[in-house]
Parts: sequence; C-alpha cells; structure tokens
Amino acid sequence: MSRETDIQNLADEEVMHLVQEGNPRAFELLYDRHGGPAFSLAYRMVGDRVTAEDISQEAFLSIWRSRARYQADRGSVRTWVLGIVHHRAIDALRHNLVHEKRRSSAEGIEERFEARETTPGEAARREEARSVRAALEDLPDEQTRVIELAYFGGFSHSQIADMLEMPIGTVKGRMRLGLDKLRRSLAGVAA
Amino acid sequence: MSVERHHAQEENVGAYLLSALTEIETRAFEKHLEECPVCQDELDRLRPAVDALPRSVDPVSPPASLKTSLMATVNADAREARGEARSEARRHGMARRLRERISRLSGGLTDMRPGVAWMAASIVLLAGMVGGATGLYAISELTSGDKGARTVTASVDKTRVPQASGSFAVAGNSAQGGVLRVHGLPTLENDSVYQVWLRRDGEAISQSLFSVGEDGDGAAAVADDLKSADAVMVTRERAGGAKAPSEKPVLNVRL
Repeated sequence: MSRETDIQNLADEEVMHLVQEGNPRAFELLYDRHGGPAFSLAYRMVGDRVTAEDISQEAFLSIWRSRARYQADRGSVRTWVLGIVHHRAIDALRHNLVHEKRRSSAEGIEERFEARETTPGEAARREEARSVRAALEDLPDEQTRVIELAYFGGFSHSQIADMLEMPIGTVKGRMRLGLDKLRRSLAGVAA
Repeated sequence: MSVERHHAQEENVGAYLLSALTEIETRAFEKHLEECPVCQDELDRLRPAVDALPRSVDPVSPPASLKTSLMATVNADAREARGEARSEARRHGMARRLRERISRLSGGLTDMRPGVAWMAASIVLLAGMVGGATGLYAISELTSGDKGARTVTASVDKTRVPQASGSFAVAGNSAQGGVLRVHGLPTLENDSVYQVWLRRDGEAISQSLFSVGEDGDGAAAVADDLKSADAVMVTRERAGGAKAPSEKPVLNVRL
C-alpha cells in the first residue's frame, strides 16, 4: 500500500496528529475533509462567497498555526474545526456590518450555490442536513428563531430581545429550552 | 459560590453555547463554570445540540482558489520551519564543536596563568563564532530545502504607513508563488481590507485579501506563477476587494 493511500485511510484524529507535527500533506487532507462543511457554515452565516472564503481561509490558517492547541479529548476534529469557523464568522458579522446585506433571502442564496450531489459524501451530508434541519424546525417557532438568530446570525441575546421585542430572560430561556428539545430529538439522529 | 450567583448564571448556559453573550458576560460565565459543576454538567448535556447545528447547513462548494491560496501559505510556512530546524541543528552542532575546541585548547592552556588562559580561550571562541555565523548564513541560504527560494524586502510608502515593513518569500519554484509578510501596518476600518496584487505586463492581478492584527502583523499568499511578473503590491480597498487597485500601493515588492 502506498504512503499516500496510508494517509488517506487515517482517522481524523490520526491526521491531526500528523498536522501537529507540521505535515502539510496531512493538513491538505484535513482541508479536503472539512473545508466544504467549513465554507458552507461560513457562507450560511455571512451570505456572500468572498467573505465566506476569507473566513474559511483565516480559520484554516489559524488551525495550521495553532495546531498544537488541538486536544483530542475535547471532541471531534470536525466539531473543533467548525467551532473555529463559527467564531470567525461571528467576529466578521459583529465587526463588518454584513448583517444588512445578507440573510434577507438565505434560502434563495443557497439554492443558487448548492453543490451538485456528485459524490456519495456530499449526498450523505445533504441528507444529514435535512435530518438536523427537520429536528430544528420541529421546535416551537419562537425557540427555532432565537437559536437561528444567535447561532447563524451572530446576534447577541440583547439584540435578539430588541428585535423580537421580548425580555432578555425570555430569550435566554427559549435558547436553553430549544437546545434541550433539539438534543432529545437528535438522540434518534446519527450524531 | 452563592445560590443567587448560580441562579443568575444558570440561565446563561444556552446563550453561552450559542455565542450570544457579550464578551464580559462570557468571561463571567466561564469564571462561574470553574466553580459550578451543576452548570458544567448542563453545558455538557446541551452541547451536542449546538454541535449539530452546523450539520443542518446544506453543502456549498468552496472555490478551488481557497485551497490553492491556503496551501501556498502552509507549504511556505513548512519550508520556513524546515529551514529554521536545519539552522537550529547547525547552531547546536557549531556550539558543540566550539565547546570541544575550547576543551582541547584548555588542555594546552594548563601551563598558562588563569587570566591568560581565559583570554586565549575567548579569542578562539570569538573567532569560532564569527566564522560560524558566516557559515551559518551560507548554510541557511544553501540548505533551506528549497533551492532558489529567496526573500525580497518590500519598499513602503512611509507617508501613509510610516511604521510598516514587509518581505516576500519567493518559493524555490516560482510557479508556486510566495508569501507576503507584513509588520506594523495600521488596522483598517471594518469596511476596508488590504489587497495583494501581482503586476505582470503592466496589469495588476488580484491575489488575496488580508487584514492585520492589533500588532500590525499579517500574511497573505500569492498563488500565481511569478514568471514574468515584476512586482507584488498591496493597496487598501473596500471589504470584498476591488477589481483593480484604487490607489497607489502602500507596499511594493520588486521581483
């Protein structure tokens, strides 16, 4: 078996170990596996491809340059990577004032740029997205709304309270209740 | 920990997981977490729901240029690290040889008075360091692991960016582009970015966008082939970048 085949067969955590040793080929594999979901998340949040590309680039460079900080016992590589992308996107949303020009028609935008289902991996990701989205949409509307505004919109609880004209305590309560219901609902969805 | 403080923080668990707290609230909540196993358990219980949220997003293909640009920077970083590792090994080897030379010398100095012996050893050490430093520079140039790789210092418009400096590391194979590193550039307003251009045949070709940290440091990749290009330039543009430079470059690297 060639060395290239060997590295392709490694689990994420093993690839990450090679990345921590400064192996660019392992980092490229990490990007190949998680670059798509990372870009998709950034794009879902900021709503334009150039900003999503900047966020993804900054996030992956930060992963490469801070690779020593990864700790396998803190969760999966995918969760770690997406967490970094999410924080970068929130920073961009809160500092770059892109709220106004995005998300007005998030679904329409996604339709325009949806990836073609060319690989089994992409088809599986799309199916997984449908399942998680269905669980999210099953929540009471007011809970779905505060969760989406916070997570994908990058709005703070006080901004959401202003927007929805409700007390901050209610917003926080709905976030917590919604997450709890989502967690229970997802228990039947592959984690 | 008081019950009141716990109740005050307990309702923040969901907002914290969703990054909906302010920075001050986040710090206060994290401090509370350190001493509250109840909130820590609640956080662990709800976390899978938040971890699932990015999986609700339909896949969107990133542009191929993202990987190209990213890997150009990563490969340049790795080459630089390998070069530094070799230099470090070389330095250790040099120090070891110097210690051996001094040790051998000290054997021949035993008949000298202590002050004279120390002075003689110092002269040997100094000569070794000067010779070693020259050799080190040459080795670093020759064994950087990337034959033909070089670094070019940028010229800076001191009237507009007085504290700035920069350099451009050209890959050994110029078809692989290079990496621009800057220091002391001012941070820009939120609606502006620095844009990197490659000038070829009088035409400016956009390469990448970057911003700098509070310390003014930043880096950006030039992914295009450098063949027949004569300069790498940086301008300040509106967020999202421009199709052509809107101002005279604040930083310029002549290739």
